[in-house]
Amino acid sequence: MSLAKKIEYWFMKDIGADLLMKFGGAAKKKKGPSKPNPKLGPRLEASAVLQRIIARHYFMSRFAKGAMPVAWVTSGAPVELLRAFGFYTVYPENHSALCGAAKRGAEICQVAEERGYASELCSYARVDLGHLFSGKTPVGLLPKPDILFCTTNICATVGYWYKAIAHYLQIPLIQLDTPFNFTEMTQADEDYIVAQLHESVEELEKFSGRKFNYNEFVRICEMSHATSMLWGEVLDTMKTKPSPMTIFDAFTQMLPVVSLRGLPVAKNYYEILIEELQQRVKDGVGALANERKRLMWDNIAVWFKLNDLSKLFAEHDMNFVVATYTSSWSSTQDHMSNADPFKGIAQTYSRTILNCNLNHRLHTMQQSIEDWDVDGLVIHSARSCKPYSVGQYDLKRLVLERFDVPSVVIEADIADERVWSDEQVRTRLEAFFEALEDDGREAA
Amino acid sequence: MAEKTASRGAYITEKKQAGLRPVGVFPAQYPKEILWALGILPVEIWDPPLDISTAGAHLQPYVCSIVQSGLELILNGGAEEMEAFLFPHTCDSVQNLATVVNDYIDLNKPCYFFFHPKAPYRQSSRDYYYNQLKRLAKELEPQFGPMDAEKLKTAVAQGAKVAELLRQIYMLRAQNRLACSAVEFYKTIRLGEYLLPEDFIPVLEDFMLGAGGQGPSGPAVVLSGVLPNPPEILQTLDEMDVRIGNDDLLACSRRMIAPPVHDDDPLMQMTKAYFGLPPCSTKNSPTDERLDYLQVISERSGAKGIIFNMVKFCETELFDIPQLEEALKKRGVPILVVDTEINQGFSGQLATRIEAFIEMLG
Repeated sequence: MSLAKKIEYWFMKDIGADLLMKFGGAAKKKKGPSKPNPKLGPRLEASAVLQRIIARHYFMSRFAKGAMPVAWVTSGAPVELLRAFGFYTVYPENHSALCGAAKRGAEICQVAEERGYASELCSYARVDLGHLFSGKTPVGLLPKPDILFCTTNICATVGYWYKAIAHYLQIPLIQLDTPFNFTEMTQADEDYIVAQLHESVEELEKFSGRKFNYNEFVRICEMSHATSMLWGEVLDTMKTKPSPMTIFDAFTQMLPVVSLRGLPVAKNYYEILIEELQQRVKDGVGALANERKRLMWDNIAVWFKLNDLSKLFAEHDMNFVVATYTSSWSSTQDHMSNADPFKGIAQTYSRTILNCNLNHRLHTMQQSIEDWDVDGLVIHSARSCKPYSVGQYDLKRLVLERFDVPSVVIEADIADERVWSDEQVRTRLEAFFEALEDDGREAA
Repeated sequence: MAEKTASRGAYITEKKQAGLRPVGVFPAQYPKEILWALGILPVEIWDPPLDISTAGAHLQPYVCSIVQSGLELILNGGAEEMEAFLFPHTCDSVQNLATVVNDYIDLNKPCYFFFHPKAPYRQSSRDYYYNQLKRLAKELEPQFGPMDAEKLKTAVAQGAKVAELLRQIYMLRAQNRLACSAVEFYKTIRLGEYLLPEDFIPVLEDFMLGAGGQGPSGPAVVLSGVLPNPPEILQTLDEMDVRIGNDDLLACSRRMIAPPVHDDDPLMQMTKAYFGLPPCSTKNSPTDERLDYLQVISERSGAKGIIFNMVKFCETELFDIPQLEEALKKRGVPILVVDTEINQGFSGQLATRIEAFIEMLG
C-alpha cells in the first residue's frame, strides 16, 4: 500500500468527498423534483441520506485502491472478518443490481457474452464479468480487487463466478463453503465452517501482513449484529396497517445492511430510518395513499422494473409489505450473539434462506403471511437465480393449498432486461389482480 | 462386451430378487462403496430416455435436461423400484431438485443428501469429507443397516479394483491400444452406473482382453463435458474413424479415475481417493488446474483437439468454458464447443461442425 494513496484516501474521506459530492449534487438538482404520484404516500426523507451514503461508498472506492486492500465480496459473506483486517469491500452483486436498475444490465451482459459467457448464466455474474472486461458501469469506476471473498450460502454459482475473476485477475480467492441444509444444520457442518474461518484468518494474515485483532473482530461482529437487528426492526414496521413503506423501498433501503454491515454508518442510518418510520406509524402515514391489499414478494427484485412494478401495484392499491429476500440479512442474526463469534458467524451465515431446504422457505412464508397479514403472493421466477427459483411452481401450489393465499408467477430476471415480456407479465398480473379482488383463489 | 450384460431393468429386478435394495442416485459424485456395503444397489439417474412432460409442472424451462429428465423418471413411475433416492450436491439445480422431491412432492420414499466440499480445498475440506462419509453411513443405517465393517472394507477394495481397471482401460485407449468404437467404449464404461462391482469387474476385465489391438486410425480428440450424450456425437466420431484419446466427462473419468491409495481406515482411503480425482467444475476446481489437466491428457493421448459437449443450462460447465477456451487457444490447442440437449438427437448442422473440426485437425 502506498503512503501517498493513503493520504489521498483519508483526505477524500474527511474533506474531499463531501465537497465534491456537494458540487456534483448541486449540478444534478437543477433537474427539479419529479411529479408526485397520487397513489403513493410521501417519500421517505431518509432516502436522501441513503443516496448520499451509497454515492459516497462508490465514490470513496475509487480512492481505496492502493490505500488499503480491496476485496470483492459476495452478499452473504461474513464481511466482519475482512473488516477486522481493514479491507475496503465492494459488492459486485450490489453493483450488478445498480446496473440493472439503471437499465444498463443487458448492455454490460453482452460484453461478457461476447467473451463466451452463455446468456443462460446468472446476470449478476455476467454484468460483473462484463464490467471487468470493459469497465462499463453507471457508477463511475470500481476499484479492481486485491482479493476475492466468496461464500456459497446464497448459491454455488458465486463460487464459479468468483473463480473466473480469480483466474482473470490472478488474485487469491478465499471461499467459505457452507453446506446446504437439506434437513438440519449439524455439528459437523458448524465445525467445518468454523475451521474454514480460522483457515481464512491465517490466509488473511498472510495476505495483509497484519496480525488478526480478535477484540476488533468482536467489536465489528457486535456492530454487524446491531445493524442487522435494526434492519429487522425496519422490516417489522411494515406489519402496521397501513405499512409505512413498501418492499420496493426496502429493496433500496437494504443496501447498508448488505454492503456496509459492520460499519457505524450502516447502524447510524437505520437509527434515522427507524425514527422516521415509527413517526409514520404513529401518524398513520402509509407508503400507499390507500392500502387495500397486502402482498408478499418472493425472490430478488426485478431491478430494471422496480419503478414500473411499484407504480402498477400502487395503481391497484396493493402494497408489498414483506419479502423473503429482504429479511435474509436479519432473520438469522440472533445467532450472532453467540459467545464465540466464529460459531456465531457459522450459524448466522449458514442458516440463510437460500442455504436451507424448501420446507424452511415454506415455513418462513407461512410465518410472514401471518405476521404481515398477507393477502397475496407474487413469485418472481428469476432465470438467473436457480436456488431461489427452482421449486417455486410447487411453492405456489402449496401456499394456496395450505394457507389459502393466491399467488402469481412472473418469469423475469434480476438484471438482464431482455428477459422480460410485457405481454406475459401483464396477462398474468391482470388475472392475479382479478383473483385478489374477487377474493378468489385461482390466479395465473 | 456390454451386450453380455442384462439390461438395466432386468438387472435391477434380478438383484432385488437376490435381496439387494435399489436406490436411485442423481449425478454426480457419491461414495458408492458405502452403499454397496449396506447391500444397496445404487442405480444412477443421468439421462433416462424420456420426453419431458410432467416435470415441466415443477421445474422452469431454464433448468437443464438432466435434472428435468431425472424428475420426469420419478414422476412417471419409472423409478418405482427404487427404495430411496440419493442426491449429491452437484450444482444449484440438483440441490433444489433434491429439496423439491423431498419436501414438496409426496413420494413416500426417503431422500438422502450428500454434500461434498467445494474447492479451493484446505485441510478442513478433507476433514469434512471424511465426516460426511460417516454421516451418510449413519443416515442410511436405519433403513439399510447396520453397517458391517468387514463389508465396508471389501466394498472399498472393490471400488479400488474398479478404479484400477478403468485407469488401465483409459491408458490403453490413450496409447491407441484399444480396438473399439467410442459407442462401445462408453456403453461398457457406463455399465458402472448400475452394476455392482462383482459384476462390473469381470465386464471390465473381459472388455480389456477382448478389445486389445490398434484403435481407430483417424485423429484423436479429448471429449469434455458432462455426458457422452446424445449418442449421435459418438456415432459421428466413429464414422469419421476418430479416436477419443481421453475424456474429461463428469459422468466418466472425472469421477471414475481415482488414484491408487491405501489406508487401513476404509473411510480415510475413500477420502484420499476422492481428493485425488481429476479436477471438476462441480467441485469448483480452480480453472488453472483443469486447464493443466486438459493439456496433460491431450498430450498423453496424442489428441489434436478438444470437443466440449455442453448441456444447455449447465452452469458449472458454462462458467468454465470461456476461460478454458481462451487459455487453450493461447496454448495452441484447437477446440470445438457444441451445445446439446440430452436425448434430443443431433442436428445436421452440429454434425457438419464436428466434421469440419475433425477435418481441420487432419
